[in-house]
Amino acid sequence: MQAALRDPKVQLALLLLPGVGYLLIFFGSPLVSTLIGSLRLDDGSFTLQWYERIFTRATMLRGLKTSIYYGVAPVIVSLLASVPLALLIRQSFWGRKLFNGLYKLPMAVPGIIVALMVIIMAERGGFIDRVIAPFGLSLPKLVRDEWGIGVILASVWKQIPFMTLIITGAFAGIPEDIRHAARSLGASRLSTFVFVEVPLAMPGITAAILLTFIGSMGSYAIPDIVGPPSPRPLSVLMIFEFNEGRFEQVYAMGMVLSLFAVAVLLAYYALTANIGVNRTKGDE
Amino acid sequence: MSELEISNITKDYGATRALHPVSVNVEQGEFVTILGPSGCGKSTLLRILMGIARPSAGEIRLAGTRIDPLPPEARDIAMVFQSYALFPHMSVGKNLAFGLRMKNVPKPERARRIEHALEICNLTGLVERMPRQLSGGQQQRVALARAIVMQPRLLLFDEPLSNLDAKLRDTLRQELVDLHRRIGATSIYVTHDQAEAMAMSDRIVVMDGGKVVEIGTPLDLYRAPTRAFTAGFLGQTNLITADADGDRARLPWGQTVTLSAPAQGTVRVSVRPETITIRQGEAGAGTVTSVSFMGANALYTVGIAGTTLKVSQAGAESLIATGNRVSLDFTSPLHLLVERKLAEAV
Repeated sequence: MQAALRDPKVQLALLLLPGVGYLLIFFGSPLVSTLIGSLRLDDGSFTLQWYERIFTRATMLRGLKTSIYYGVAPVIVSLLASVPLALLIRQSFWGRKLFNGLYKLPMAVPGIIVALMVIIMAERGGFIDRVIAPFGLSLPKLVRDEWGIGVILASVWKQIPFMTLIITGAFAGIPEDIRHAARSLGASRLSTFVFVEVPLAMPGITAAILLTFIGSMGSYAIPDIVGPPSPRPLSVLMIFEFNEGRFEQVYAMGMVLSLFAVAVLLAYYALTANIGVNRTKGDE
Repeated sequence: MSELEISNITKDYGATRALHPVSVNVEQGEFVTILGPSGCGKSTLLRILMGIARPSAGEIRLAGTRIDPLPPEARDIAMVFQSYALFPHMSVGKNLAFGLRMKNVPKPERARRIEHALEICNLTGLVERMPRQLSGGQQQRVALARAIVMQPRLLLFDEPLSNLDAKLRDTLRQELVDLHRRIGATSIYVTHDQAEAMAMSDRIVVMDGGKVVEIGTPLDLYRAPTRAFTAGFLGQTNLITADADGDRARLPWGQTVTLSAPAQGTVRVSVRPETITIRQGEAGAGTVTSVSFMGANALYTVGIAGTTLKVSQAGAESLIATGNRVSLDFTSPLHLLVERKLAEAV
């Protein structure tokens, strides 16, 4: 026993155990059992039929496309709002402290509440509709609509604070001297932003994109409540299959969604490797 | 008309005055150092010159044109930062090209200027490197090259050498001096290092507590400072209170000395350690309290009439041991300090 503990290989394994062991038990084993489950028939024999169904059945294929759409569209809208917001928060203005605290609130609101809120506010005959009705205006169909505007609205409402938070951090991480250096070299505010600040904040911006994309692609409550009855994203279809007792199908769909997330993650690493993530520190 | 005219620039942060009215004129091609301890307002002044901080009052003229209302990019000034502030996502070449691109310098001209800057900053061959692949000294050279490639009317340096180790600092300091001699750009250099200021500057602006204390050439400020602060900040000195009568004065221990200028009553004089001659003798009024041999000279501290004086003896053949009685001779006239209030002196 004593001798075994002195073996550097054993020592290494023991030292790694708390970290790697945790990942293996709580992340690796469910993943592996999901993978195995998705490749089995009831009698335990090997099959690819659950995957085949995902890529051949019309509802499933549309579900896959819808999942990606519900992942991508809100991210684009959130990004368009979050970057200006992050820049605004950097400025000093009256009530900045209050705003700084308030804008983060939506992060604490569960998706299902957001979905219900969108229904109450934006549905035809809802709050906004009734407020603008006396002016002879009416809302277009925003909830359970064909384009999933309701889903995008709800996701965006939830994502903007999170994205803004990360992007604010990314911009704040750029040393002030670098901005000043750009200005001293003849760059206007805008050029400094485009050529210096955005490239340097890119790792943070892409991380925000990645995390919100994965979050909204996998969300269930929002598309189930405010999304159109058809097509439904894979996350909603998964619950349907689960209720039907087709667990193998649920496993396979989970694997496909995870694969997409991993693909996006790899793309992120490839992208940020080319951008200088390693900043020169100001106080070296 | 001076190349750069700084007139009554002030800076207030709320109720705190960071910069009291500062007026300095800098001639074309001059290398002026702003010297002072941290918090003296020297960096604030530099940031105001660059345009990244706004003055509360006053005006700045560069080549006759008023520049204080202009944004930094419209000023024809380039700056070298203490942190180098290189763009970490651009290669050395792109860092150098950035400013030229922003100012729409045509491509062939750009290439020519970059090549020249790389050459005079000893950076040839590093053009493709990323900043993180460079040593501290190389990074600072790139920062310097990036500034001079702009051929600005005025070059600003914000403690550019203070992040480097001592040896590299000496090398780069010499390179900077050579470079200035070759390109002759009007330069303002901020530092808290008096040795750096003395070695590099045509003139030094001494600052303390947000005020300009004194302006002069390194030699004048060292030999004939008018303020105790300057005398103490530039090299070592002894500040002695004396009783003056015309150009003669009595020191506290009764010794009579000659003053640099006539005065009456209680005065303060600045005496550099190397202008005092130390002699061993039982009749001497002082006692050696410590001695350190530095090679080229020996540094003594001598207790005399309740005060301690620093004395430097050059080329000594033997040292005087601690505890020995010594007498001190003041060969040159003692330098009289001008005090606004005696109590103000350090």
